[in-house]
Amino acid sequence: MIRFLPLVLKNVFRKKTRSVLTIASILLPLFVICILGTLLAALDADPSGGKGMFRLTVRHRISITNFLPEAYLPKIRQLPGVKEVTVMNWFGGKYVDNSAKNFFARFAIDPEPFLRVFDEATVVEGSTAEWMNDRSGLMVGQVLMGKYGWRLGQQITLKGDIFPGIYTFTIRAVFKGADESGVYFDRRVLEEAVPRFKGLVGLFWIKCDSVQTVERLPKEIDAMFENSPYPTKTETEKEFQNSWVSMLGNVRLLITSITTIIVLVILLIAANTMAMSARERVTEIAVLRTLGFQRGTILGLVLGESVLLSLFGGFLGVALFVLSFPGFKQGMLSSPMGGFAAGMRLFPGILALGFGITLLVGLLSGLVPAIRSAQRPIADGLRQVG
Amino acid sequence: MLGIPLKYNVRNLFVRRVTTGLTVLGIGLVVAVFLCVMALGEGISKVFTTSGSDRNVLVLRQNSQSELQSGLGLEQVPLVLTLPGIEKDSDGKPLASAELNIVLNLDKVDGGSSNVTLRGVQEKAMRLRPGMKLTEGRMFQPGMSEAIVSESVARRFRNCAPGQTLRFGSYRWAVVGHFDAGGTAPDSEIWTDVEGMRNAFKRGGYSSVLARTTDRAGRDRFVAGLAGDARLALEGKVEKDYYGAQTSAAAPIRFFGIFVGVIMAIGACFGAMNTMYAAVSARTREIATLRALGFSRLQVLASFVFESVVLALLGGIVGCLLGLVAVKTALSGVTGTTNFATFAEVVFAFQLTPALLATGIVFSVFMGFFGGLLPASRAAFMKITDALRQVG
Repeated sequence: MIRFLPLVLKNVFRKKTRSVLTIASILLPLFVICILGTLLAALDADPSGGKGMFRLTVRHRISITNFLPEAYLPKIRQLPGVKEVTVMNWFGGKYVDNSAKNFFARFAIDPEPFLRVFDEATVVEGSTAEWMNDRSGLMVGQVLMGKYGWRLGQQITLKGDIFPGIYTFTIRAVFKGADESGVYFDRRVLEEAVPRFKGLVGLFWIKCDSVQTVERLPKEIDAMFENSPYPTKTETEKEFQNSWVSMLGNVRLLITSITTIIVLVILLIAANTMAMSARERVTEIAVLRTLGFQRGTILGLVLGESVLLSLFGGFLGVALFVLSFPGFKQGMLSSPMGGFAAGMRLFPGILALGFGITLLVGLLSGLVPAIRSAQRPIADGLRQVG
Repeated sequence: MLGIPLKYNVRNLFVRRVTTGLTVLGIGLVVAVFLCVMALGEGISKVFTTSGSDRNVLVLRQNSQSELQSGLGLEQVPLVLTLPGIEKDSDGKPLASAELNIVLNLDKVDGGSSNVTLRGVQEKAMRLRPGMKLTEGRMFQPGMSEAIVSESVARRFRNCAPGQTLRFGSYRWAVVGHFDAGGTAPDSEIWTDVEGMRNAFKRGGYSSVLARTTDRAGRDRFVAGLAGDARLALEGKVEKDYYGAQTSAAAPIRFFGIFVGVIMAIGACFGAMNTMYAAVSARTREIATLRALGFSRLQVLASFVFESVVLALLGGIVGCLLGLVAVKTALSGVTGTTNFATFAEVVFAFQLTPALLATGIVFSVFMGFFGGLLPASRAAFMKITDALRQVG
């Protein structure tokens, strides 16, 4: 079959305008498919790179917006299997203004135990020591540094809403490896500014010593606080992340159905092109048949042409996506969809899916014209004008 | 100067039924996807743009973006209610309600969980929201740990039917009724008595006060009075504006819709271009004949652009129909997403408005115009003699 490749290639580019247009009309939708797939994959992605499987979160049963007493911390720490416990408070507030472009996660934490629980984060600029020595020091995810063009040592002012007041922080450390779309500072800053929040905790993070502990602890912790005024809900890190995705509603369904329809659109466009080019070549194919080409060969020629055309489009689409990805992600971060873009990276599975889809589109779109061309009686084909 | 009859183009589209059909369907699907995503965004914004009255003022702590971040002390409420501008009810008391907002994590009917706003209200709360009515059961009784649930929330979350009980650890509320707020904000909420709720959650104060003002002048006086009292550190927001500002919750989905729509439209534009090029090359001799008959280049150009626009317009109509069918069937009913300004679910229905449908049609016309321009100019600038000589 491989000896027919030059012939198929010649056919693909016989009508240059048409081929270029078809490739372009496959390329763009495929680019969109790559983006949608990456968004979906980012929703499921684990920024901790597997380390999160040893972590649990404890929050108020009512919802994450209710506080738990700090007194729970020693009670949780003494449970067998617990390596470390730390606290995390959602600060909220605003940076510059309330636009989506200036939204990012801000957390108040206890620096030392925090770093022990999230030990997969590595500091790439500044140092944790500088961060811990400066009460108003800020640790910033690498993604955010790039997004806002911040520099180490720069001062960042946040205006509080849940914790009223104006807070100025100095960037002392930049990390990567964990969730890079947030900033972290010492929660004592807030307790000093708003004393009524002293001793209130939004979320506990636990680091367990084994997978068995991870399975056992949630029930134990929730039972321990069941009849207190502050009942808890303990979840694994994965469940905790999934609950956020679940809060968004049927995002998965929405994105999957859009992707399916886009595949259908490419299929229609490609099928149309293949039908047009096969129709123009009826006479030519009849001549090939008289020269002794088998039906099977004709089938292969037409099908090969559509697969090749589709793969060109697919390859360029995926290539465009890969090449434009860094800039694209940067752009997405400052768009209203910034909150979703942080977890986006190049997932090999999605790129493979893109190729898979183009292969499928190539095969399906060429099928009907190929079968028709192979089946048409030679005499009919030769008689046809135009 | 008569142009080439439009019938010529329309009939040509019909002659090449299969190609026309495939192209129309391709454009139609692109338009339909665009419309559905935009209808989703429109549904979210509609909740916020139709919620709230411009005579109601919501009193919050200064700098609070939402009720969730706000807080008022018990002692502040009487001070707020003595400010001028508030309307008096028939019983002579201010028409106002001090309320408490808490977000509950509830299990969804179809799995997973999401946050729903539990709102503790005072007796005049319903009068402050005129569109709202009980549809089933009765109003909760103060002090009895009873709650009423919006119909939309009841459809999406478990344990919300009258007679059932909502539980959280040691807290319990008996559901005694359902209400409907005509697609406005309370449709995403569960209501109960504010004092009982303050007790259950050990809250020292309220989240907000909602007050009806006498008229525009009264409203401005009330808002100015709040701002002028530095001891209170509160601010008044016109209720309508407060909800209006939250339409930004629909911004990501809008952005997403336009982004996907535009890229797909360019893709579909290339598809239409392909079809038109094929149409032009199949009719080379015809075009030359038209030119030989005396039709000008411009007329040929206009004729082919017209054909392409008709092609895309058919696609646009198909897309609108597909979109309508989708929104009326598969996407009918209410759905929800989380409004991250309030950390709570907002329940909404897809809204495919006439304006959106018109956008879809305009969108398709653009695709047809740009898709047809290049092929049409190839047709217009052919050399008559060469073209006539061409076989097939």
